[in-house]
Amino acid sequence: MAFSIFGILAVLLEFIRPFLPLILAVVIIELMLLVVALRRNGLLNTFRALKSTVPIGVVGFVIGIFTVPWMTGAERSNLAGIIDWLSLFGASFALGLIAMLLVWPPFALFRHRAS
Amino acid sequence: MKRRNNRQAELADAIVDPGRRRLLKAAGLGIGSLSLAGTGILASTPARALATNARIVIVGAGAAGLAAANRLSATLDGARITLIDRRERHLYQPGLTLVATGLWKPGQTIDENQRYVPRNVDWIQASVSEFDPDANRVVTDTGDTIDYDYLIVTTGLHVDFDAIEGMSPELIGREGIGCVYDNPEHATRTWEMIDRYTTEGGVGLFTRGPGGIKCAGAPLKVAMLTEDLAQRRGHRDRLEMVYNSPGAGLFSQPDMDQFLKEEFPRRDIAINWHHRLVGIEPEQRRATFATPDGDIRFDYDFIHVVPPMRAPDALGNSPLAWQEGSFADDGNWMEVDRHSMQHPRYPNVFGAGDCVGTPIGKTAASVKAQVPVVVDNLVSVIAGRELTASYNGYTSCPLITSRGQAILVEFDYNLDMVPSFPFISPYREHWVPWIMKDKFLKAAYNAMLRGRV
Repeated sequence: MAFSIFGILAVLLEFIRPFLPLILAVVIIELMLLVVALRRNGLLNTFRALKSTVPIGVVGFVIGIFTVPWMTGAERSNLAGIIDWLSLFGASFALGLIAMLLVWPPFALFRHRAS
Repeated sequence: MKRRNNRQAELADAIVDPGRRRLLKAAGLGIGSLSLAGTGILASTPARALATNARIVIVGAGAAGLAAANRLSATLDGARITLIDRRERHLYQPGLTLVATGLWKPGQTIDENQRYVPRNVDWIQASVSEFDPDANRVVTDTGDTIDYDYLIVTTGLHVDFDAIEGMSPELIGREGIGCVYDNPEHATRTWEMIDRYTTEGGVGLFTRGPGGIKCAGAPLKVAMLTEDLAQRRGHRDRLEMVYNSPGAGLFSQPDMDQFLKEEFPRRDIAINWHHRLVGIEPEQRRATFATPDGDIRFDYDFIHVVPPMRAPDALGNSPLAWQEGSFADDGNWMEVDRHSMQHPRYPNVFGAGDCVGTPIGKTAASVKAQVPVVVDNLVSVIAGRELTASYNGYTSCPLITSRGQAILVEFDYNLDMVPSFPFISPYREHWVPWIMKDKFLKAAYNAMLRGRV
């Protein structure tokens, strides 16, 4: 059977639907913070702040490696084969990326105050 | 048959307005070219729309009925679509196994039909008590007669507790009796029994109804998850587990059948072949099984009862049911062409989901594959075109072997494995199919109800 990008997006939409209000609220707040940071600090400095969030991303990744199987009700011993490990690394990478993006706008504002 | 085909053509001429007949771009038309090797869970949206004033009745607002209603409402312009079902509650039945084994809360399987009924679809909250395909009408239990030009039958099935002497749904959750099927209340009470059994131990009987049953993997999953839970609790040595199969196999797909025939003994789950549950004595905690050597009685501390299943009476006793052959004997299932899903004697009638008599396919994954075929072929009938869509028997079962691991089994009418994800072995336990079952399949199911995958 074939599947489409539209189909994948539809499934992802259903997956996040219960959390949609919370996600939208967080995204709006983050965007507002980012706009404020851009205005105060300029484009270059705001993007430089992204670099500062890398350690947070790494921490998020490492935490993901240790906790994602547990969060799914499974144990590390349930991982069998390369596809399971790649999935774990992929999910942990996504967790790290989200952590980076979440702390980026506050970091950008903090950089401004510090400078 | 010829008379029916002429009628089909007449219907098409009467209903389709040629001046308005046109094709519309579907929402995902441009995206269609991006289709990838894929899955039965994620698939394309309807690609064409047609102007018509046809009266289409869909009987049953389960997974197949709602998915068909959404697809038709998006595909047809001007059709009068009526959905008939009394139930306001929608149950995510693939989750009942998880409820019955303590992995999900019952609320995770409960939803509302209203959330998925399209705005341009009339929903009649009644049950159909009579199908009259010769007169193109159905009669509801409230006495209303509803005429149609086209009919889609998606009634689901009837779990026949009465077929087991002494058994009734009220017994579930008492006297060591469990049954995962039918609703979350049954599953919750089953969990209470399994929870107690895996603590106190004793003899556990695991059964399977003969013939076509919905989600035929569920009885196996309940057995394996019970065994897994006892292991985790450190009480495995207190349990004597027996799986009584009504036939000579455990699973219709041969590779998986072989795997399970090795897996069950490895986990110290004894198997008896040709043991069909025919009676239960709750107070004595005794079950009777019909075998080739006569009836045999087993004492138990826990029993997972899986009754036979059949078409609902209104459908099974109607001309729409198979009139002879194995699908008539097995459960009075609705007669359809196994590929087109069209009724062979009533070409303006289609069927999908648990109620149809096809060799395999009483799963949500089958519904996912069947409904687009039904909708495409119905649209073709309305437009007077050849039927081109074909259902290949696709079905899927994320066979959970323990908490945290499952095998993603997908196969077709030929019983050949047809993995949607070539990188996930259909022969080996993995963590990824477990995540899919536990976290993502409900999202895919809901998207299917909305007609989006």
